[in-house]
Amino acid sequence: MGVNEKFNPIRKGLLEFLVLKIIAADKVYAADILKQLRATEFATQEGTLYPLLSKMRREKLLDYEWKESEAGPPRKYYELTAKGREQLRETTEYWQKISGTVKDLGRAPAG
Amino acid sequence: MNKVVTIHLRGAAFQLEEAGYDALRAYLDGAARRLEGNPDKDEIIADIEQAIADKCRAVLGAYKNVVVAAEITQIIEEMGPVQDAAAEGEERPAGEAAGAAAAGPAACAAGSGAAGAEAGTPPRVRRLYKLHEGAMLAGVCNGLAAYFGIDPTIVRIAFVLVTFFWGFGILLYLILAVILPSPATTAEKSAAYGIPATAQEFIRRARDGYYEGMRTWGDRRAHREWRRRFKHEMKGWGYRLKREVQETADRAQQQWHQHWQPPAWTPPAWTPPPGPPFLLLITLPFVALARGLLAVFAFFAVISLLATHTVFGVAPPAGMPLWAALILLLVIISIISWPLKVLRHAGYWHAGRGAYFVPPIFWFVDTVVAIGCAVLAIWCINRYVPHAHEALQAVPAVLHNLVDTVKQWWAGH
Repeated sequence: MGVNEKFNPIRKGLLEFLVLKIIAADKVYAADILKQLRATEFATQEGTLYPLLSKMRREKLLDYEWKESEAGPPRKYYELTAKGREQLRETTEYWQKISGTVKDLGRAPAG
Repeated sequence: MNKVVTIHLRGAAFQLEEAGYDALRAYLDGAARRLEGNPDKDEIIADIEQAIADKCRAVLGAYKNVVVAAEITQIIEEMGPVQDAAAEGEERPAGEAAGAAAAGPAACAAGSGAAGAEAGTPPRVRRLYKLHEGAMLAGVCNGLAAYFGIDPTIVRIAFVLVTFFWGFGILLYLILAVILPSPATTAEKSAAYGIPATAQEFIRRARDGYYEGMRTWGDRRAHREWRRRFKHEMKGWGYRLKREVQETADRAQQQWHQHWQPPAWTPPAWTPPPGPPFLLLITLPFVALARGLLAVFAFFAVISLLATHTVFGVAPPAGMPLWAALILLLVIISIISWPLKVLRHAGYWHAGRGAYFVPPIFWFVDTVVAIGCAVLAIWCINRYVPHAHEALQAVPAVLHNLVDTVKQWWAGH
């Protein structure tokens, strides 16, 4: 098991956080989310994303509306609900705490 | 040269190579199975079909109007296996998901990709639940029927018969009503039905196929093609469903035999007295009559207890809860019915000349007389005793009350 695979669970756990972040920035549809993730370590497939989106919608973190597109059938555009924004704020805070801990832990005590 | 299959995905038609069609079918079937019990299953499948349609569109051009098998494989690989986020979410609170190590095996499986849908099929669980939809009382019969995959009416009739002939049907029902849980989630609900995958898939196929048929209505050739395929497919699924139900029934029967068959009973070395057994045989119908009357009595005694909390005016010991009084009543009734039972079995003994063989005709006459006089008695009472008529009409409400009382009592402890 390479380092890459070891981090699979971490990436998976963080996916919801990143999806919240992406949707918070702008109204997007599923393919946009995938495109933004593709360039990162969090490259995700439809098979994972769609069930996640529907779960988040059930938890009332996000909502969608149908919008006509220039080419092809109407698409679902996702946006955050108040609850979703609240969760994003909390998770961001928590994430900062964690990354601070990761950075500081094990260093020689300053001073 | 390869055969082409026309499909539609979210309202747009595509032509696929046959091998590609099979792979896609397997992928979508696998997805549907994994999302079993997810309330948004249909919606997720629709989204996935939409994404596949977009990807198919991308590989088609002005002079290329068939999606080849390799491209489908590629698309399926890109889509990745469908993983039910909700199933994992139920196990851990969503807020902690960020830090916690989320389920590993599913993530590892992601690499295998492709159409290996069969490999990841979740094991089918089957559990006994009370099912309230379509229930008449507390849903016990309904749940049992779902568990064994049979019609609830059969289970209800069985319960009524058991109550009539042995008296413990009601008791059994009450116990089951108290101890069986109700399914809380959709997953549990589908576990109540043991064989959901095939049956629900069957329904989904039928519905999808039907829509496709409606859509190809205008194009006669496509419609004919659809009809041929649809018939063929439905037939296959019908066989599978039938076979599975059959297997389940066989298994249940086998288990029943293993666990419940009484040990072979050897009659003691006793020759029947030489006296004429006719007397006893003639008494059999009377015994049946008495048993029938006793059953009627038991029925009204139970109703009386439930409605007035006394058995025909006789109050149970002070401080005894209703359910205990009911059990006591049933025990008393079965004690009273013992001598009649013994008499009846003695009659059978004679009829069988010591071999304890019950000639079907005796059993039949016995049963018919018992049921007949019970029905007659209930009818008479219902007809000529206005008070009883009211009581009978109140039976469903009383039973509902009783079930509620028992439930509250259970919840209170």
